[in-house]
Amino acid sequence: MLLGLGAAWLIMFIYVVLIMLRERKLRKELDRVRRMVENPNK
Amino acid sequence: MREKIIIGLAIFAAGLLAWNMNTIFTQLPDELNQGAIYRIIYFHVPANILGMSGFGLGMLLSIGYLVTKDLRYDALAASVTEVSLVFASIGLATGSIWARIIWGVWWAWDYRLTSWLVCWLIFGGYLMLRRAVDEPIQRARFAAVVSVLGTVNAYISYKSIEWWNTQHPQPVLSIRNGGGMAPGMEAPIWWNLLALACFSAILVMVRMRQEAFAREIDTLRRMAHAQ
Repeated sequence: MLLGLGAAWLIMFIYVVLIMLRERKLRKELDRVRRMVENPNK
Repeated sequence: MREKIIIGLAIFAAGLLAWNMNTIFTQLPDELNQGAIYRIIYFHVPANILGMSGFGLGMLLSIGYLVTKDLRYDALAASVTEVSLVFASIGLATGSIWARIIWGVWWAWDYRLTSWLVCWLIFGGYLMLRRAVDEPIQRARFAAVVSVLGTVNAYISYKSIEWWNTQHPQPVLSIRNGGGMAPGMEAPIWWNLLALACFSAILVMVRMRQEAFAREIDTLRRMAHAQ
């Protein structure tokens, strides 16, 4: 039973970690592209 | 405002889940034939309900996109479908662990399990398709078609335990005329469903924000190329 509950929470935990990593990557990319548009010569 | 809603929902869902876990583990007796392992049902059923209903909602939003051509419908459909796939994965994993204890095997190729696995693969393909196609309008159109096909399969999977004799148990919930559980044992399934639905809503909101970021990045890149 604990294996079942553990599996459920593990899948959820992995997804939350992946979603957080994606959020960080998107924020970095957004900052980079914004800078690129604001200072096109750099 | 969105942050406050997310925090409020998280606090409510965590509290409800903690209270419900206490009920499940300390107040409910073991099931007569299965013993303690039957408690997996309190995660297996809500996760699968959220998976199936999420795929259905994703299909409606995809149809909304096809009718209106508004990409916000597509973004919401993608967010809902991705989160639903996570819950479908939880449903498959918990079901397999339960089967190993009760049936003695991890998997049986019966109608219910096979159709649900096919559904999971279709929506896994849906997410891969979205990554493979760069052009947003083409991506939204292809994804909408896959969503409709996948949801038809999800409905077949939902009805399979009524239509065919499956190794998977027949309906047990009272709303499906199952009547296989005592009311005191059934109620925590619905409370867990509510708690997990709140977590699901939080994840969809976070994914929607990411979709908005991705759209903004795409727009800015086009501006940069035009300069």
